[in-house]
Amino acid sequence: MTEPHGPDDGTRRPPDAGPVENGGGVLALDQSASSAAYDPTPDKERPEGHAGRFWSARRIPAGITAAVVLGASGLLLYDVAAVRAGHPAMQWRRTLADELATRRLDDVWVLTGASVAAALGLWLLLLALTPGLRDLLPMRREHTDVRAALDRTAAAMVLRDRAVEVSGVQSVRVRMGRGKVGVRAVSHFRELDDVRADLDTVLSTGIRELGLARQPSLSVHVRRPAKKG
Amino acid sequence: MNGVLRTVNRVLLGLAGLVLLCVGGGVLAAAAGLSVPSWWPWYGKNDVLLSEADRDRWRGEGWWWPTVIAVLAVLVVLALWWLLAQFRRSRLSEVLVDSGDGEGALLRGRALEGVLAGEAGALDGVARAQVTLTGKRSTPAARVRLLMEPHAAPDEALGRLSDEALAHARDSAGLARLPAEVRLKAVKHRAARVS
Repeated sequence: MTEPHGPDDGTRRPPDAGPVENGGGVLALDQSASSAAYDPTPDKERPEGHAGRFWSARRIPAGITAAVVLGASGLLLYDVAAVRAGHPAMQWRRTLADELATRRLDDVWVLTGASVAAALGLWLLLLALTPGLRDLLPMRREHTDVRAALDRTAAAMVLRDRAVEVSGVQSVRVRMGRGKVGVRAVSHFRELDDVRADLDTVLSTGIRELGLARQPSLSVHVRRPAKKG
Repeated sequence: MNGVLRTVNRVLLGLAGLVLLCVGGGVLAAAAGLSVPSWWPWYGKNDVLLSEADRDRWRGEGWWWPTVIAVLAVLVVLALWWLLAQFRRSRLSEVLVDSGDGEGALLRGRALEGVLAGEAGALDGVARAQVTLTGKRSTPAARVRLLMEPHAAPDEALGRLSDEALAHARDSAGLARLPAEVRLKAVKHRAARVS
């Protein structure tokens, strides 16, 4: 995604044939959709600090794990102490010891339990090793002391506000991915290619003004509104 | 402070994940009849998870039960501390202001937070700002949440925040630096249609 691309490397896609064109018997010249994907020009090298991801503190999984460990060890501790003090062991502990000693490894419950444990373990490892906070897009660091991130919904909203100001755009949907912006616009007048070219210009400026550390690539689709009836 | 909790959480979560993965994977490998090394705790399909002999192995020893109880008690205390740590928000109550004549003054953290939030909220393009101070009282750090107004440009809003609100707060508290972590969101609004 950060690789610079030449202008003619095949990222330009042909206009896709929408359902309108197939059903309506429109003239061949009357385009119903126009789209293109561009990759951003490579960023200028910034002298100041590297903008890394925000790492989540993982409070919720940690809290749940802590509660489970606390509950299990507390219960076991209580029971072990009670048995030491001369009380009989609780029923669950006798049942559990019994089950553990009689169920063989190819028992379906043992297999299920082992699979669940392994899957849960993998999930916890994944939580521990990945940054999380995928909704926050890191922003360029202009000041060494300020680390900033932009919410993905906010970024999409800013770009949408830019896009609706292009004349000919009736409505627009912006999907903000982590490395890619997908824009789908409906245009009710003007040539689709013109509208798309305008959208490209406006949105490229818009993306630059988001101030993101890694410029997302942009893909714009423009089509006519579906005909009624 | 938050960084410490993040590291602890991630290390402990990773450890728990590793234990679960090893136990589950170990049982599955043995049950699938793979050739497992001799030190593997389970052997073959007909083995059980924990046989009576294994469970009673050290029961006769004098040290067994005290050890079990001690280990469980440590586990309970650690888990309790870990759980409570998740609910604690590390917030700075006061900031040490160096007045330059060898004497320091204490500034209430809330006051600095309030001033910072007020100034950030009044910036062009910012609807609301929330500020929390973290870190140590001689080297505080700020966590800022900005809510942008419609049609504000994020990089400009951030630039103004850094150059004005954060810089003023840093200078007025006489701090050498005030590291800040900023999260920007936008006010939810409908698209303004051009007619």
